[in-house]
Amino acid sequence: MTKRRAKGRLAEKILPALSIVVFLVAWQLFVDIRNIPPIYLPSPVAIVRALFEMAEDGTLFYNLGATLLRILVGFLLATVIGIFFGIVMGMSRLFERIVDPWIAALYPLPKISLIPLLIIWLGTGEAYKIVISAVTAFFPIVMSTYAGVRQVDRGLIKAAEDLGANRRQAQISVVLPAAIPTIFAGLQLGMGVTIILVVAAEMIGGSSSGGMGNLLIQAGQVMETEKVFAALVVLTLMGAFIMKGQQWLDRRLAPWANYV
Amino acid sequence: MNIRVENVRQVWESRDGSQVVALDGFTHTFKSGRFSCILGPSGCGKSTMAQIVGGIETATSGTVTLEGTDSGKKGSSSVMVWQSQNLFPWRSVLDNVAFGPEMAGMSRRERTERARDLINLVGLKGFERHFPTQLSGGMRQRVALARALIMDRPILLMDEPFGALDAQTKIVMQEELMRIFDATRKTVIFVTHSIDEAILLGDEVIVMTARPGRIKEVIEVDLPRPRSIEMVSTPAFGALFDRAFHLIRDEVTKAMQEQNAKAGALS
Repeated sequence: MTKRRAKGRLAEKILPALSIVVFLVAWQLFVDIRNIPPIYLPSPVAIVRALFEMAEDGTLFYNLGATLLRILVGFLLATVIGIFFGIVMGMSRLFERIVDPWIAALYPLPKISLIPLLIIWLGTGEAYKIVISAVTAFFPIVMSTYAGVRQVDRGLIKAAEDLGANRRQAQISVVLPAAIPTIFAGLQLGMGVTIILVVAAEMIGGSSSGGMGNLLIQAGQVMETEKVFAALVVLTLMGAFIMKGQQWLDRRLAPWANYV
Repeated sequence: MNIRVENVRQVWESRDGSQVVALDGFTHTFKSGRFSCILGPSGCGKSTMAQIVGGIETATSGTVTLEGTDSGKKGSSSVMVWQSQNLFPWRSVLDNVAFGPEMAGMSRRERTERARDLINLVGLKGFERHFPTQLSGGMRQRVALARALIMDRPILLMDEPFGALDAQTKIVMQEELMRIFDATRKTVIFVTHSIDEAILLGDEVIVMTARPGRIKEVIEVDLPRPRSIEMVSTPAFGALFDRAFHLIRDEVTKAMQEQNAKAGALS
């Protein structure tokens, strides 16, 4: 009985990895046996080989570094501005009335449609890539910060005031920390769209400044399909690492929020 | 200090504009150093009464005066222990308890020391670094009690603090509270809907009517202190229980009929 259960647990642990390995082997066999041209579908081995080549000649790290830097700057910009606006909106009725119509109107707009306008204004350099990603990430961050501040349990504020906190103290010592889990949820959404928009902007923007999106487009144009796949693998891993890292950081910064 | 409550009336305006009288003509003097229980069916305004005394709510009319003090500010003489505890989930037990002194600008060393004393008093030694969500309901309520006691205010308001606890934890907490009350001798206003609890803890039990909440009768509880849970099986306790039960039964029936009538009117 216990043996069977132990076996069940082991299988449960192995299955995710096994699922990927079986898929890759099947892919490799399919390509080899059916003689699929690599332009359409390169084999996993060919993709790994392309990955190593790109790592060796430095194109991988150059482009990955450029993309990561843009994500970081765009995200930080959105975070600082979004949290600031969110908090002030949540705490000041006046400010909320002034800003709310703009946010309500612009939130549903697909931010990617701003790219032509931003290229006209800013050109295709760094500024446009960072601005488009920051503008997109700003919305989920400002909305969840605002919601977090507004939805703070009234009971906690009453308790704080009963314990002698004045209005300002209640806002700093109660409202802000109480809003942190909601703010973090917004930051995760914001990071997700930052990654999307930076890569998309790199695909559309200038060819000289590099980045993973640019690498993808260039490889695609000359039908280096294994490079396209290699870039996709890198982007997947990059996204996974950033998201996991963010979750880890959230847990470190707000350990109490896990238990709720 | 005595708390004189005179003719307090509380009217809530509901969303459709109709008015609900939660409390009406509440007049009572809570004597200094006494443990007073307010007992009544749900919705009788007993929690509101405690909040009015604590300056958390403002009465529609009527007055609350603290005798033997010239500070007119009600809030700074009392502190509330809430049914939902209202602990700060991002603060450890220690930092929750030290919240009041921190707001008052006491140094970290001093407030930590005081918080530790109170954590020991409520029997939570060793849990200083835990977060509220890591604690059981009973332990959370101990934290809430320590956080209130650290304020060292003469009046302790308790709004159904043990309402959400299981029966065994409740008994343990009641005994703890009796021990702490005997040690600190605060003026306590304790809101409850449990007859047992009101008689076991209180020096007097103020029985309320169903909405609008009025005082139906004040029962003096002359059981000796220190109290213990064993007293529940004594004849004296039984007699007090019967008296309170008969008073409250009529009110609960009335409240239920009113609710049924309202439900009938809605459907």
